[in-house]
Amino acid sequence: MKKLLTLSCAVCALSGSVALSQDLVFEPGDDDRFDWDSYNALKSDEFAGQSIRVFGPWLGQDRVLVESVIDYFEAATGITVDYSGSDSFEQQVVIDAEAGSPPDIGVFPQPGLAAELARKGQLKPLAEGTEHWIVDNYAAGESWAQYGNYLGPDGETHQYGFPFKADVKSLVWYVPENFEDAGYEVPETMEDLKTLTEQIAEDGETPWCIGLGSGGATGWPATDWVEDMMLRNNSPEDYDAWVKNELPFDDPKVIAAIEDYGWFSRQDDFVSGGAQAIASIDFRDSPKGLFDFPPQCYLHKQASFIPSFFPDGVEIGTDVDFFYLPAYADKDLGQPVLGAGTIFAQLTDNPVNAAFFEFLESPIAHEVWMAQRGFLTPYTKANADVYGDPTLKKMGDILTSATTFRFDGSDLMPGSIGAGAFWTGMVDYASGKSARDVAQQIQQQWNTLK
Amino acid sequence: MEQFIYAAGTILVGVFACVTWFWGSNFILDSMYPARGAHAGRNIKRANLIRPWLFLGPALLILGTYLVYPVADSIWRSLHDADGAEWVGMANYRWLASDPKFRESILNNLMWLVVVPSLSTFFGLLVAQITDRLRWGSFAKSMIFMPMAISFVGAGVIWKFVYDYRGADQEQIGLLNALWTGMGFDPQTWLTLPFWNNFFLMAVLIWIQTGFAMVILSAALRGISEETIEAAILDGANPWQLFFRIKVPQIWGTIAVVWTTITIVVLKVFDIVFVMTNGQWGTQVLANFMYDWMFRGSPDYGRGSAIALVIMILVLPIMIWNIRNARREMN
Amino acid sequence: MDNIAGTRARLTWAVNLTAICLVVLWTIPTFGLLVSSFRNADQIASSGWWDALFATQSVDYKRAEGADAQVREGDTYVIAGDLLQDGKLSSWGISSRAPAAYQPGEVVDVDEGQQLTVQEDGSYRITSSNRFEGRRGMRIFLTTSVPPDFTLENYDRVVTAEGLGRAFLNTMTVTIPATVIPILVAAFAAYALAWMQFPGRAILVACVVGLLVVPLQVSLIPLLKLHNAIGLGKGYMGIWLAHTAFGLPLAIYLLRNYMVGLPKEVIESARVDGATEFQIFRRIILPLSFPALASFAIFQFLWVWNDLLVATVFLGNSQDQLVMTGVLRELLGSRGGDWEILAASAFISISVPLIVFFAMQKYLVRGLLAGSVKGG
Repeated sequence: MKKLLTLSCAVCALSGSVALSQDLVFEPGDDDRFDWDSYNALKSDEFAGQSIRVFGPWLGQDRVLVESVIDYFEAATGITVDYSGSDSFEQQVVIDAEAGSPPDIGVFPQPGLAAELARKGQLKPLAEGTEHWIVDNYAAGESWAQYGNYLGPDGETHQYGFPFKADVKSLVWYVPENFEDAGYEVPETMEDLKTLTEQIAEDGETPWCIGLGSGGATGWPATDWVEDMMLRNNSPEDYDAWVKNELPFDDPKVIAAIEDYGWFSRQDDFVSGGAQAIASIDFRDSPKGLFDFPPQCYLHKQASFIPSFFPDGVEIGTDVDFFYLPAYADKDLGQPVLGAGTIFAQLTDNPVNAAFFEFLESPIAHEVWMAQRGFLTPYTKANADVYGDPTLKKMGDILTSATTFRFDGSDLMPGSIGAGAFWTGMVDYASGKSARDVAQQIQQQWNTLK
Repeated sequence: MEQFIYAAGTILVGVFACVTWFWGSNFILDSMYPARGAHAGRNIKRANLIRPWLFLGPALLILGTYLVYPVADSIWRSLHDADGAEWVGMANYRWLASDPKFRESILNNLMWLVVVPSLSTFFGLLVAQITDRLRWGSFAKSMIFMPMAISFVGAGVIWKFVYDYRGADQEQIGLLNALWTGMGFDPQTWLTLPFWNNFFLMAVLIWIQTGFAMVILSAALRGISEETIEAAILDGANPWQLFFRIKVPQIWGTIAVVWTTITIVVLKVFDIVFVMTNGQWGTQVLANFMYDWMFRGSPDYGRGSAIALVIMILVLPIMIWNIRNARREMN
Repeated sequence: MDNIAGTRARLTWAVNLTAICLVVLWTIPTFGLLVSSFRNADQIASSGWWDALFATQSVDYKRAEGADAQVREGDTYVIAGDLLQDGKLSSWGISSRAPAAYQPGEVVDVDEGQQLTVQEDGSYRITSSNRFEGRRGMRIFLTTSVPPDFTLENYDRVVTAEGLGRAFLNTMTVTIPATVIPILVAAFAAYALAWMQFPGRAILVACVVGLLVVPLQVSLIPLLKLHNAIGLGKGYMGIWLAHTAFGLPLAIYLLRNYMVGLPKEVIESARVDGATEFQIFRRIILPLSFPALASFAIFQFLWVWNDLLVATVFLGNSQDQLVMTGVLRELLGSRGGDWEILAASAFISISVPLIVFFAMQKYLVRGLLAGSVKGG
């Protein structure tokens, strides 16, 4: 009798997966750029019929995309994944974890909060060997593993987070034909970029569009700038020390980096709307100046996700393109790249979670999203040929060929600094406060945390 | 559909349960201590001692569980560290006293407390009075009331649209800047103007709360008996005197209620600041400051709770004033 | 007598004028959003809503066809086509720096041996003595006058959003009990606090006022913890109770203050007539308090209807639990910023509260009049 039951369960799981597979975006086995073997290897009915709850910040389009990836997991294992998204993810995951009804898996947009929950014992360490897996399989694997490595309540570090989905931050967007019209060249070094900026201003045009507005997170785009300038003025070791506050925030090296960003953002001639205005321009609106005629600006620095805020019909590669934010030629610091990633972590001991993380380790989970849009991965086994458009591939190349790869420092700092004092400090800097005052103010805040 | 039946069922069960409780308990009380017979006097006294608690029972139960208990929890948390694990005594409050952001928030909150309740009540009273005799009065009222129906997020969007800023060489799409540049000035980033930006945020809450004040006050105005007014008119009172000498004193209690309610809304004001500036550029207020510490970045529930308690302590004067009022009514 | 009539007429004028000013001031921001909800994203970003009724000048570019489309005419290579479906252009250009440099019909040297001309109707002709190369066509900037254009697309997107119908049901399921239950509970409590003598009454009134100020955020974690502990978990029961509790202090406060103002004589005489407290409450207080009950009902309805925070915490976030505000938030995407969708969804979500308000208003006024006749 029991056997019969198991059998019928397997049958219904099977029929379930058949029904599901019809909804998959790419028919398994069809396109041989995908690693279908990795998909087939996932097939199992160990947990068929069970379900897990995944909670993350992705809504709208992003939700559709992540669900299209999850579909493959459901089809292969018969496990039901209940994904829900919220734009107040951070608040809700705190409430749910504190109240004792956490989701099985949380998708953290930044590691700060995940580390905090890990410290409180609300995250559960991932399976043994996950850390090795990330080190072995991700480009710059050590850095990526560190990204999900937090101090647990027992005072020891464990691998809590699994990074999935990456963003490259060190990009400058421009309209190639506007460059042609004006006779500008894509700069190869930071010195060239500064010369170009001056030249555009001398021509009576505005070089940069910068917008720091982001509702509750206003100021963060400037933190990316400062981090990029940190990596271009100082050694990666200094950067790491800065993130850990071993190098104080008001150290001359940091102040110099802030001022280097200020070179671009604090001169009225260099930014659209004037230096004072950048804090009140929404970062989502700021790239639109590239597409006005005559152009409001010629350059816009922003991470790889920004094309979703370009006007309708703008084609990347034709109407707009990007170049790597170059390094100083005379500083010999290599080609540093700043990036960020999303972190999956488990909040319950549900044994089914392991199957989901196993899925995230399979190339197919990455490839399905890569082949659509807005997804980069450092996973070396994922086939770069499946990238949905050449732009993504170009970004992927920047990501995988960086000589120095560092994460968004504000994400790694304690939350009240990296998602608080640093942001507001940058807003103050934009409205005219000196870099030294801003840096001291942030350092003071950091001191109160010790 | 099933869900709807469930909901309808709940309403019925809920209403039935309430009615049964109130009616049933009163019935039992009345039959235990009948207001007749030998001990009528004693019985009435006893019944009157118990009866208020029957009426208050459900409300007290719900308030106790859902509001008093969380407050007690916050007091406890505010004396502990971020995780609620270790007793830290007054450390969180000492931290508050030295935090410049806290000082900014409390000063801003005080400013809000002065401006918003007074202006909302003033406009509410004005609208209630002047629309009373207009033929299109109810239309006017609906229009003024409309902002009440819009969620805070919606209101945030609407006003961001009003305060929108574009560079001087671009076409303004924000109404305020369009008017401002139309008068020949340079466009302004209203929400970042030091000090004044607070007032631009307050405008949003005044815009919303005036509708509330208007509804309550216009009910009160209509409650004034015709005879009083006619007598005043016969005495030769002009419309101003009629309003300030006769009507306003009559509804003074209601004005106080409106004022109190809006004051409390102001103490808790969060969404508007959160959506529009998130407390930057010197616009921080207590509730948003508390939110920052409770849920943002590295949450510190201890400090967040301490801020919450400061908000609650600020309401004490209003509570005392209400106690005195209630005492006066009794005598 | 004339004099008085004159003053009165002037006063009426002043009253009308003030009322108009206030109404305009109060509706203009919303009206701007309403107009914006019928415009598309580009229009919103490029001109103020007050310009929506006028034609606007728009500068944009179109691409000429690439080298594939060239035809050979004698010695010259020609690419020709039409840049505009309909409408006329007022000027054109070939550089982003001077997008309006040329008049329609002008012939311009583009490159060595290449000439371009664009006519008023958008037809263009590029001639060259050499073969054209490159797949990508050149950019031609056009200044056109765009007639006012309104679209229902935003509303279409919101109304047809996935799960909106379900969310509407969910919201109704949350809202109606969460409006009815607190009124009932509060009415009794308010009566006790207003008309019964017992020790501690003043303190209780003050406590109710004090509880008004409890910030919602403080109670979320302890309450969800409580719900989880007693097995209520996340669900409608929990959210009804939560909304009831959060609305209760204001309900008690408003109703009590209204009831205190009711005529003492009526209640006293009923007591003398031997009516029980319950009868007094049901037969006298409840009908007389109708306006206050109705106005509180409206406030509570609005607050619950527009709430997202309490719903997501106590009800949950998954597709079949979402309330309307949740679906609308979802439409905006994780990064927000789509003002046209925000505008349309704001109007869809306020439509129900407004209908309720207008429907209730009739009763409100009737109740108020009844109150004023009996009251005083």
